[in-house]
Amino acid sequence: MSEWTHERLAELIHRILREDLLEVADDFTPRSNLVEAGLDSLAVTQLMLSIEENTGVWVDESLLTPENLESSESLAACVHEHLGQR
Amino acid sequence: MSTSASARPSEPLPQWGPRLPLTGADGFLRAFDVDTRRRNAASHLAQLVLRLGPGFDADAFQTLLAETAAANPILRAPILRRLTVGTPCYRLDRSNPAWPSFTLHPAPPDGAAWPALPALFHERLNEVRSSRHGELLRVDAVPRGGERPGTDLAFTWLHMLLDGAGSERFVSFLEERRRGLAPAVPPADRPESPPEVALPALASERGAMAMRWQRGMQGLGALPTRSLAGPARRRVRQALVYDVHGFSPEETTGIVGRAASQAGFLTPMLFYVAAAIRAHDAVLRARGSVPESYVVPLPVDLRPKGGEGGVFRTRVSMIWLQVRAERARDLATLLEDLKAVRRQAIRERQVENGVAAMAYALRAPAWLYARMTRRALHGELCTFFFGYTAAFCGGLDRFFGAELIDGFHAPSVPPSPGSGLVFSLVGDRLNVTHVRQRGVVSEDELARFGDALRSDLTGLG
Repeated sequence: MSEWTHERLAELIHRILREDLLEVADDFTPRSNLVEAGLDSLAVTQLMLSIEENTGVWVDESLLTPENLESSESLAACVHEHLGQR
Repeated sequence: MSTSASARPSEPLPQWGPRLPLTGADGFLRAFDVDTRRRNAASHLAQLVLRLGPGFDADAFQTLLAETAAANPILRAPILRRLTVGTPCYRLDRSNPAWPSFTLHPAPPDGAAWPALPALFHERLNEVRSSRHGELLRVDAVPRGGERPGTDLAFTWLHMLLDGAGSERFVSFLEERRRGLAPAVPPADRPESPPEVALPALASERGAMAMRWQRGMQGLGALPTRSLAGPARRRVRQALVYDVHGFSPEETTGIVGRAASQAGFLTPMLFYVAAAIRAHDAVLRARGSVPESYVVPLPVDLRPKGGEGGVFRTRVSMIWLQVRAERARDLATLLEDLKAVRRQAIRERQVENGVAAMAYALRAPAWLYARMTRRALHGELCTFFFGYTAAFCGGLDRFFGAELIDGFHAPSVPPSPGSGLVFSLVGDRLNVTHVRQRGVVSEDELARFGDALRSDLTGLG
C-alpha cells in the first residue's frame, strides 16, 4: 500500500462520482450522502471497478454498508482499510 | 366511462412534433410485442396493480389521467414505421384522444374478499388488443368490500413499453401531480430532451459496440439453457396466470438483511436472482432436465443518477447473467458466480454495448431481435424473466386519497421461457409476483417452486 492515503482516496472517489457517474449539482461535496446523490446498483459497481483500476484493490459490493456509503469520505475509509489489509 | 383529454390551460405545454423517436429499449420491447403477436396470438401486455384502502378519489384520478395524456401525447400515441419503412417512431399526429380509458366498475354484489383479486384483472392481462393504441391502454378500478374495503386498481400497459421502473414512476408522477409537486410534462420527457444515454459520435464505434453485444449473445449458446416451458414452438396461444408471494414485515426484514449482507446493500437483486434460479432449478431437477447453464437477462435502469429521471420513454439496458447449472446447488456459490459475471459484464461495458445494439436493432425488422436470441440459445430466449424494482413506486404510501395497502407488477412473459419473477418492496413487505404461461408447471411443481423460493429468501430451509 500505500501512497493511497485516506485523503487521496476520498478525492479520487469524489472525482469519479462527480465526473463520470452521477449528475450532481455544485453543492455535492466529499461529505454528501452518496445514495441520496443517486448512487445505485450499476453506479456502485462502476465506482468499485474504477477504484480497483486505480488502486489494484477490489472491494466487494457486499461489504458496502449504508454507513460506508454515507459519503465519499466514509467510503474512502472503507477502501483504505482494505488497502491496509493487503 | 372513458375520459376525453383536456389540457390545463394555465400551464405552458411543449410543442410536440408529428413524431418522436423511440429509444433503443422501446424498440427492443416492441420487438417482443411483434413476436408475441406473430407467434402467440396475444398482445404483450403488462399490469401494475395497486390495492388501496378506502377513500380513492376516482373523479380526481380520471381528470388528472386525462390531463396527463393530453400533456404527454406519447402516452396515447401508436408506434408505426413511417410509410411502412424506416425507423419506427411514436406517431403523435395519430395519437388517439380517447385513450387511455378509465373505468370505475360497480362493486361486486357479494364484495370480493381480501386477498382475492378481481377476475377482471386476469382477463385484461390476456386480452388481444390492437397496436393502434398508446402505451397505457386502460385503468380499471374495482371497489372491494368485505373486511378490508377499498379499491383495487390495475394499470394495463400495451407492449410494456414503459419498463417496470417507468410504470412505477408514472404512478408516483400522477400522485405528485395531484399534490401539485410535478410539472405537467417531466423535464426529461420533453420533446427536446435527448431520448438516449450518450453513445460515441462515430458510427463505426457504435457499430463495434453493437457487434460486441451480438458476439456476447451468440456466446451464451455455448452452454445451452432450458426454461420451464422449453424452446419456443410456433403458434402457442399465450395465456398468463400469476400469483403473488407475499412476505410479512418480520420475514421481509430478515430477507432484506440477508440480501444486503450476502449481495450488497445497493445490489441485493443478485440475491433475489440467485433464489429465483434455484427455484427454477428445483423444478427442472425434479423433472430430470437440468440444463448446462441458467441464463437470466438482468434489466439495468439507465435513467440519470441523481438527475431528473424520465417517465415516458424506456431507458434500460441489460446484463445477461449466465451461470453453470451445477453451481446452483449451493446458494452462496451461485451468488459468488453471479457477482463475478455481473462485474465482468460491467467491466466489459456490456450495458453500454447493449444500448448501441438496441439502437441499431431499431432499424431492423422488429422480429429479428427475438429470432437472433433464440437462434443463439437453441430455441430458448433465456431461463426466465426477472425484475426487481426496489421500493415500490418510490415508496408511495397514499394514492389519490387512499392508503396504498399493497401493490405488485404482473409483467408479460412469452410462452417460452414461460415464467418470470418480479420482486418489489411495498412498504415493509416484500412481494414476489410469479407470472407464468398456463400449464407450464403442475400444481406439485408450483409447490416445489414456492417452497424453494421461500426457503432461500428467508434462510429457513
